[in-house]
Amino acid sequence: MTAVEYAIVRERRIKLFFFLGSLILAFLFVLFVNNMMVSLIVAVTMYYLLAPLVDLLERWGLSRIWATTIPFLTVIVVVALTSALLLPALWDQVKVLQNEADKYTKAFSELLDQAEGQFGAFFKSGENPSLRHQVVPLVSDWAAQFFKGLPDLISKSFTVLLLAPFFGFFLLLDGRDLLRKWLNFVPNNIFELSLNLSYQIGTQIGGFVRARLIESVFVAIITWVGLMILGFPFALALAFLAGVLNIIPYVGPVIAAGPVILISLANGDGLTGVLLIAGLYVLIQFLDGAILVPFLVARIVNLHPVTVIVAVIMGSQLLGILGMIICIPLVSALKVTTLAVYRHLINFRT
Amino acid sequence: MNFIWDNIFRQTDKERTLTQRLRQNVLFQDLTGTELRLLENIVNVRSYRPSETIFRQGEAGVGMYIISKGAVNIYVEEMINATGELQSVPVTHLSEGDFFGDLALVEENSRRSATAISAEETVLIGFFKPALLEIAQRNPTAGVKILLRLGEVLGRRLRETTAKITELKRETKTT
Repeated sequence: MTAVEYAIVRERRIKLFFFLGSLILAFLFVLFVNNMMVSLIVAVTMYYLLAPLVDLLERWGLSRIWATTIPFLTVIVVVALTSALLLPALWDQVKVLQNEADKYTKAFSELLDQAEGQFGAFFKSGENPSLRHQVVPLVSDWAAQFFKGLPDLISKSFTVLLLAPFFGFFLLLDGRDLLRKWLNFVPNNIFELSLNLSYQIGTQIGGFVRARLIESVFVAIITWVGLMILGFPFALALAFLAGVLNIIPYVGPVIAAGPVILISLANGDGLTGVLLIAGLYVLIQFLDGAILVPFLVARIVNLHPVTVIVAVIMGSQLLGILGMIICIPLVSALKVTTLAVYRHLINFRT
Repeated sequence: MNFIWDNIFRQTDKERTLTQRLRQNVLFQDLTGTELRLLENIVNVRSYRPSETIFRQGEAGVGMYIISKGAVNIYVEEMINATGELQSVPVTHLSEGDFFGDLALVEENSRRSATAISAEETVLIGFFKPALLEIAQRNPTAGVKILLRLGEVLGRRLRETTAKITELKRETKTT
């Protein structure tokens, strides 16, 4: 190896070390600093949602700073106003739901008793302890933990509400510049590959974020309308839950339908009521699949059901309810990234 | 092969700032000051040591390079015998202000048709497809100006290639 070749290899190694080092440091920072991951996920979501609008305003002749500030402030005002209108109603519904949690647990245990009674012939008495005594404490615990953890979740949300817009604004304003500067660390021999890869990943994740959000908002709105038409209580809270949980494919809609069916049973709506509610949730999923998915299919990352369940279990164990929700976008982003890296590495050199 | 890689838009000035260097390139000569400033923030400036490979023939290419400082040698890998052994044949030497790899800006799944190696300490301005798309999104007027000039460059190269092929055919017929 000549002196020049040695210098080139040395420089490439140093650059790669700094590039990978900064990547690992950033990853650890996001992973271990409180609220950072959620704040960044929200910020990135804001970025991908607003970036087309910011580009549009820039096309109309506004400077980048104004093209970023105007939609950003508009979104903050709209979100604040909507929250001011909807949050008190949502909070009231959650409070009522919390107060009536015992009623629903009782109804659930009665339902289990009935089921056990009806299917009792299949079980040998004495060998199986009552289903009710096994399941009810679990459900009660889960509900208690959910409501107990709610204030903590809300306080965390406030931190996220402060941090996320801050990050989101600067991502919109300087995100591309930052990425360009960061890519300066990349050694020359893999620079084009890295640049193209970052572009492909950005484009695909952007499409995915926008598609999933549109889908969630669509599901939340039609759930709200559907529940209102049926005159169902807590329509707003349950529709919000359906929208959020819709981010989790396959499992999410089922989890979202669970409390609705329970409430329906507790309210004594009977089989007809339960069937109506179940029918509504099936219809919503059908509408989602028939109307939205065909338009968004290229952008929605299809995850295998087993992957979804494994991801949801891991997410719930690491971060609880929040983990269940954010694990799917994270796994999808990981899938998009891995596929893009793989395809690129295969195709880059002949 | 020289006629393809030779820069027909060569500039002669030595020291130039990034904006000046961009303004003097044929692709960006129609851009206004504001559009150039946007471009300046989008391009990537890369430094190369002597004999460092910029890209290899057959690799996927995503854009073009303008030589801001230094020089670049272009080689084509050719089979020299029936055993399939490859040999790098120098095709041209490019210097400050020249640009290369522009076909990759418009081609889908573009592959480099030659190998580029820096001849000395070289600074290159990289203008890649994501940057072209970003400009087209953020400032379509600038995007159109660049694309029209790019079309002109590629058209001129095509015309020269056609002329060269015609000439070669004529020579083959006469011999």
